Amino acid sequence: MTAPSIVEVVEASAPAEWMRMSLLSMPVVEAIHVLTAAIVFGTILIIDLRLLGFPNTRRPFTRIEHELLRYTWGAFIISVVTGILMFAANATTYYGNTAFRLKMLALLVAGMNMAVFELVIKRGVASWDKDVAPARAARFAGAASIVIWTAVIVIARWIAWTKGYGAGASIPDNVNFDFSTQ
Amino acid sequence: MFRDFAEWLQTTGISVKVQSITWLIPVLQSIHILMIGIVFVSSLMITLRVVGSMRADEPFATVWGRFAPWMWSGLVVMALTGLVLIIGEPVREFSSVSFWLKMSLLAISLTSIFVFGRTLRPEMLTSATGEFSTGRKAAALATVVLWLAIIFLGRAIAYDAAVWGHLHT
Repeated sequence: MTAPSIVEVVEASAPAEWMRMSLLSMPVVEAIHVLTAAIVFGTILIIDLRLLGFPNTRRPFTRIEHELLRYTWGAFIISVVTGILMFAANATTYYGNTAFRLKMLALLVAGMNMAVFELVIKRGVASWDKDVAPARAARFAGAASIVIWTAVIVIARWIAWTKGYGAGASIPDNVNFDFSTQ
Repeated sequence: MFRDFAEWLQTTGISVKVQSITWLIPVLQSIHILMIGIVFVSSLMITLRVVGSMRADEPFATVWGRFAPWMWSGLVVMALTGLVLIIGEPVREFSSVSFWLKMSLLAISLTSIFVFGRTLRPEMLTSATGEFSTGRKAAALATVVLWLAIIFLGRAIAYDAAVWGHLHT
């Protein structure tokens, strides 16, 4: 099965149909998506700033991370589910949209940054967990995370403003909402 | 009355200017959303400390000092970006039920945060062990619920007719 045909199957699915037909599905799902994305960004920002030594290094990094990551992951999972629903509603359109593809790329980069941090950089956390500036690599990962997650949100908002239609693609008949009002 | 004002505002130089810069509104919306993350999570951290499920080992003043400045600064940036968004699309905002409900809940939420801070006894600020009263815990949780409603209404502005049906004018 080729990628475009999978996208067509997704768009023809029952949840996608529900997203298009129900009046309230789109605003409710979008609002939950914005809220959970905001929680992901806000909680990660606290962790990233702590990696940069802000506001201080008195509270152990591992403790701050442990306290917050449950909220980050909880929100992220809901964000992915609502994101998939929004994608499904107009899957072929989003699939061909440059901003959408860039956002997926940015999410992938964010995931890679996190994986390198968790699996490699955090091995040495004992030496910078508290009262000292985090290791250079940890500070770099924190700064990179802030930049990447900011980009994810900016690009996400950009998707709605690129009208969802890739170069040369025609507007599908089943698109039931007008991006220009969003 | 608001409709007339909105229609007048839409024709002013500054509104036309905002409308004419195609990238401005999405950029402002992006900043607005980033600030939701900062303001909502800061407010959530403070609330979780009030109910005792986050940083309960730290005095309330420490947690307030860490997150309140971010909450207020974020709110200022949101107010400014929100204001320009209104100037850019006044008729859309002022004719939206969600917009007016959002502004009303915002006023209630800000008032409750002010009152919460003003009526706090000094010993609650510095004590790492003191527990907040049930009323204060409920008030803090209510603020979080208000923020959730405000965020939902913010997104619902784009779908006013779908959300409010005949109430939408």
